Amino acid sequence: MNKYFSTRMSIFVFAAPALLLFSVFCVYPLLPQLWMSLHDHDGFRNLGFVGLDNYREVLADSSFWTAHKNTYLIVGISVFLGLPLSMILALIMDSQTPNLRRFFKSAAMFPAILSVTVVAQIWVAFYEPNWGLFNGILRSIGLDSWTRSWLTDHRTVMPSLGLTFLWQYIGLNAMLLYTGIKTIPKQYYEAALLDGASFAQVSLRVTIPLLRYVINYVVILSVLGSMAFYSHVRVMTSGGPGDLSRTVVYQMYYTAFETSQFGKGTAIAVLFVLECLVISFIIQRFAAREKLEF
Amino acid sequence: MKLITRAFWLVVACTFLFPLYWMCSMSFKTKSEAYDNPFGFPRTWDWHNFSEALSKYHFFVYFKNSLIYASGTIIVTLVTGAMLAYCLSRMQWKLNAAVLLYVSLGLIVPIEVVVIPLFQLIKELHLKESYFGLILPYAGFSLSSCVLMLYAFLRTLPKELEEAACIDGTNVYQTFFRIILPIVVPALVTQGVLVFMRIWNEFPLAFIIASKDDFRPLTVGLLGFFVNVGVSDWGIIGASMLLSSLPTLIIYLIGNEKIENALTAGAILK
Repeated sequence: MNKYFSTRMSIFVFAAPALLLFSVFCVYPLLPQLWMSLHDHDGFRNLGFVGLDNYREVLADSSFWTAHKNTYLIVGISVFLGLPLSMILALIMDSQTPNLRRFFKSAAMFPAILSVTVVAQIWVAFYEPNWGLFNGILRSIGLDSWTRSWLTDHRTVMPSLGLTFLWQYIGLNAMLLYTGIKTIPKQYYEAALLDGASFAQVSLRVTIPLLRYVINYVVILSVLGSMAFYSHVRVMTSGGPGDLSRTVVYQMYYTAFETSQFGKGTAIAVLFVLECLVISFIIQRFAAREKLEF
Repeated sequence: MKLITRAFWLVVACTFLFPLYWMCSMSFKTKSEAYDNPFGFPRTWDWHNFSEALSKYHFFVYFKNSLIYASGTIIVTLVTGAMLAYCLSRMQWKLNAAVLLYVSLGLIVPIEVVVIPLFQLIKELHLKESYFGLILPYAGFSLSSCVLMLYAFLRTLPKELEEAACIDGTNVYQTFFRIILPIVVPALVTQGVLVFMRIWNEFPLAFIIASKDDFRPLTVGLLGFFVNVGVSDWGIIGASMLLSSLPTLIIYLIGNEKIENALTAGAILK
């Protein structure tokens, strides 16, 4: 059968379209990227070879480091705040009656279904200084001195963006974790509960260790997702005030498309691809690799 | 204990649903009511925000564009992805393992980082004023997860299926399209949902490549509309947001079980 099926012709016909698409639009752009980062380029013309000058300029630019600080702040928020919260939601989701669970599952998923533009704009209204939700709540409980212009205050702008991001994806991550919990045989924690362990103990000692495979997946998804944090910034603050809420991707867009320094923009992109590779390698390295058997 | 978790859940659910309620209520408020009653229930139900939003905001153009991008990407990704996955799982090719590794590269590189060279490439291929300018890159970036998932799925199918077809004298193309594809429909639906969700909400690439208004999808068109309206008339902004969200909300309400299963399938497969 294999002789009949695997002719050169059929392999070519089946493999070529996808490989062509993938190579041209996903892998190939990395090459001109590398080439362009060594040149002075304004988006239309190549203005000559400059060696590593673009990299030197990028690394000396304080905006680049602000952008890094902001990006890793978002990564930190989504891993160290978002993941535990999603985990708690998932664990409690598991202990609900089916009807209640169905309702909460849908509620938790809603934010992830709305488009980023809509979500970001809704939160712009919540952070609005004069009639926005947060200042309204603070005023009504008498904490007038805490009110502020959330998105233009340099101390609150990144945490505010982070909160919006968390709100949009916490429910989706909880769903992913919950799906993992469902695959764990019930006897495992029923036995522990019979022995007198509390819900918190069972969760920490039994459920979470058995879930590390799914947790690994969710961590990779949320780290890579928050590394590329861009759309919310675009809609909510346009990187402002000044450059204080720019992320790495925003800084890259800004440098290339708003200041027409394509060489410098691609230098940022090349550095960023390397970062993504290193980080996913580290996560793979430290996360559990062996398959769990029930 | 039960009461506490119930109460906790109620608070959580409200947190998730409140912005949705706010968007709906805002779209029925007049310009002045939006300011003195921003978070309460609308005092009078005012429909004119919708008619005004529809006349100023090119909702149907953007909606059509989003639909074309999403469905075009789904078709291209699923057809080419299923073919490659079939080739990798069934045909004897010494490069199988290498190709699989090569394709999984796409999972690590985020689409945002190649935007600059992609922008140049699309310009040189003269695809900038065409739907393919976004569909082809989207498909390229959706292929990795599609191929890997379908590959895992196809490997579980028994070989006898094709052996029977082979004895009947059908060729490999007929076998693939008539026998294999109908069997993998559930996996294709899952991938279709995932691609749809990703492309329907894609923003960074569309923002750069679809710079002409006629080709903008909803996400980018909506932002352009916000910039035009300014932040003075929240009623219209609310109405335009609600209009833009309705299609996905309706699809989600109809097929939420299926969509949830599709979205979470990846977590278990891994």
